Amino acid sequence: MSRAHDTNPVPAPLVALAAWLLPGSGYLLIGQRARALTISITILLLFVLGLLIGGVKVVDPPASYTPNPLKILFDKPWFVGQILAGPITLVTVAVGKDSDDRVASSSFHPSHARVNEIGTLYTAVAGMLNLLAIIDSTYRAGRSGGNP
Amino acid sequence: MSPLWLLADYTYQPFVKAAPLWDYWYLLLLPLCLAIAIVYKSIRCDSMSRVPRQALELFAFIIVVMVLAAGALAVLVNILS
Repeated sequence: MSRAHDTNPVPAPLVALAAWLLPGSGYLLIGQRARALTISITILLLFVLGLLIGGVKVVDPPASYTPNPLKILFDKPWFVGQILAGPITLVTVAVGKDSDDRVASSSFHPSHARVNEIGTLYTAVAGMLNLLAIIDSTYRAGRSGGNP
Repeated sequence: MSPLWLLADYTYQPFVKAAPLWDYWYLLLLPLCLAIAIVYKSIRCDSMSRVPRQALELFAFIIVVMVLAAGALAVLVNILS
């Protein structure tokens, strides 16, 4: 544990929000720079690798509106893991969605079979690892009296 | 194996098309396991100086266990079929 961590003035909810917005940044707020860099680089690299393997279309969002939230879980369960990686998932969805309106030659192609599965797995695992990092950084911030 | 005539005119475009890794998909297990080991050990270890060694140990452990599990399942499938 670093000395900065013991005198952390940052509220735990803010640490959790920052950790979701940018993987690893929760640790940065509580003064653990090495841990923040390691986790940030690893999670972002894993997410980008997933996109490189399966293409942008591996991030497949649920329908924009449904009266039953549980239906989202059953329809697109991998998206729940992917969204935990932070706004990078929403950016990926926006980029993939924009391409639908363009001509076919420049649009993003959905992948299939194993390559699609592995790309989806990479991006979802990146999100779930970020969930671990969010929980851990928030716990460390709360334990050190981070609440003002 | 993928039919060669299907792949003859396939040009990989990063982020746009899928990477042509159909025949080597099992190798993609390695970076995934390494990332899991690094993040897990970064969270668990109090001192970051211990992370590289412990992450490599965990990475090797995951790979060995998965290879053993795959071997055991292959034997089981052969016996049952």
